[in-house]
Amino acid sequence: MGLVGIATEKILSSFSVFLFLTIILLAVARRISTSVLLFSLQSAIITAEVLATGFQEKLASAYLVGILIFVIKVVAIPRAFFVLTKRLKTVHDVKASTTPSQSVFVVAVMIYLSYAAVHSYGGAVRAPGDSLAAAIALILTGAFLMVSRKKALMQVLGLLVMENGIFLAALLTTFGMPLVIEIGIFFDILMGLLLMGIFMFRISDTFEHLDVSKLRRLRG
Amino acid sequence: MKIMVDILQLLLLILGAPLVRGIIARFKARLQKRRGASIWRPYVELFKLLRKEDLTPPTSSAVFRLAPVLLFGCTVCVAAFIPVAHVSALLGSRGDFFLLVYLLGLGRFSLSLGALDGGSAFGGMGASREALISSLAEVPFLMGLVALAILSSRADITGMVAWTLHQNIFNISTVHILAFTSLAMVVLAETGRMPVDNPTTHLELTMIHEGMLLEYSGPSLALIEWASAIKLHAMLALLIALFGPWGMAAGGSGWGLATALLLYCAKVTVLMVLLSVIESAAAKLRMYLVPDFLGVASAVSALAVIFTMWVKR
Repeated sequence: MGLVGIATEKILSSFSVFLFLTIILLAVARRISTSVLLFSLQSAIITAEVLATGFQEKLASAYLVGILIFVIKVVAIPRAFFVLTKRLKTVHDVKASTTPSQSVFVVAVMIYLSYAAVHSYGGAVRAPGDSLAAAIALILTGAFLMVSRKKALMQVLGLLVMENGIFLAALLTTFGMPLVIEIGIFFDILMGLLLMGIFMFRISDTFEHLDVSKLRRLRG
Repeated sequence: MKIMVDILQLLLLILGAPLVRGIIARFKARLQKRRGASIWRPYVELFKLLRKEDLTPPTSSAVFRLAPVLLFGCTVCVAAFIPVAHVSALLGSRGDFFLLVYLLGLGRFSLSLGALDGGSAFGGMGASREALISSLAEVPFLMGLVALAILSSRADITGMVAWTLHQNIFNISTVHILAFTSLAMVVLAETGRMPVDNPTTHLELTMIHEGMLLEYSGPSLALIEWASAIKLHAMLALLIALFGPWGMAAGGSGWGLATALLLYCAKVTVLMVLLSVIESAAAKLRMYLVPDFLGVASAVSALAVIFTMWVKR
């Protein structure tokens, strides 16, 4: 009991640091496969936070949610991404429109903004300020990834990172939503990924590339 | 007693430096499925060079002869600021981290001057590249150290180490992780290791550090090689002292010192394994991508400084 208790406390207090690190690395990553691995790592960190919250608040449903996240976000979605990149026969580059150091500066500003936004709520929520700031930074970074990367695959990944952030914010402020809603959201993500996968096949079939900045004219 | 310990620490940093190089080369060889040379080989090479004649180009001046001596002196001074097994150093609180950074800078400056004075085209090319990289690496190096200085409210390296030693090992703060990331990148660039510079190549188009040494021979070359080995060892020791000093002896007991020394060896071994894995896995960056690499380090270090505002620990 004692050791597990200490472990959960440490996870809740200092794991958000690793979330910041994954955010920064996502801004630097040049390859789609690296970004997908980073997303998987990020989801694993969030899984640990969910399990720790479940242990601390004695919520049985949190364990189920944790297992669901692990299966879907850490294993299934990255696998699906790897299959997609293989089938689409696309180049590995993410086609960033900013250089790595520019992206890191933008992400650094976003992390600063999220801290500034969370600062005033410090006493209002029971969650540690670091984690809440990490959640908001995840949402902002997801949006930034969607805007600045030209590969269609990366826009899906940006959306998933945003979803991670929203999930973490919900977890920290309300200790997780009801189980039915969680399952509904996971189903939503899976369906979204399926639809976008089909979309990408269509895009690459008609245009023979996945560069969203070049989708100017309609083709039948 | 205390001054003896400090001198021993400095000697460990200086005399152990070629061994560190040899062990890294051995690890790399093993990772690449080669047998590799003996780990004592750098010592043999140093002795061989020290016994040889010192040849200088006919066009060179006194700068060419003085540069290796100045470089060696600066590097030894830097090593004298870094605690190894005991929370003190020979020069200890006689200078702050700015002095440390710019002593390294002075060493680089003198070596670049010597390379330019040698008169070969490759020397000039290597010197200009070295100047570019060191000016880009200065920002993250200083900012990473500034973040730690703000956190510990001390400006000297031993003070920062003593402060970190009192913190709980498990309560890692955001600032420490960010500063470690940027300083680790700086160490790779400063010591001319793989993603930035290849220490084993003599290919004209890619060499940076090796380009400057082409005209040197005999004892001068030995001094430069030894100085760069000391620099590598001192930077690794600096990383350990700033980010993982737990286990260092604070008192004067012999047992404490012995265990601290053993722990230090273990930590250096871990870093050496990491370094050789990075060097075997990473490809050398193109020259024009190096500013991007160091730009990332600068951004991370800037973030570390900003975070000291929020993290009050």
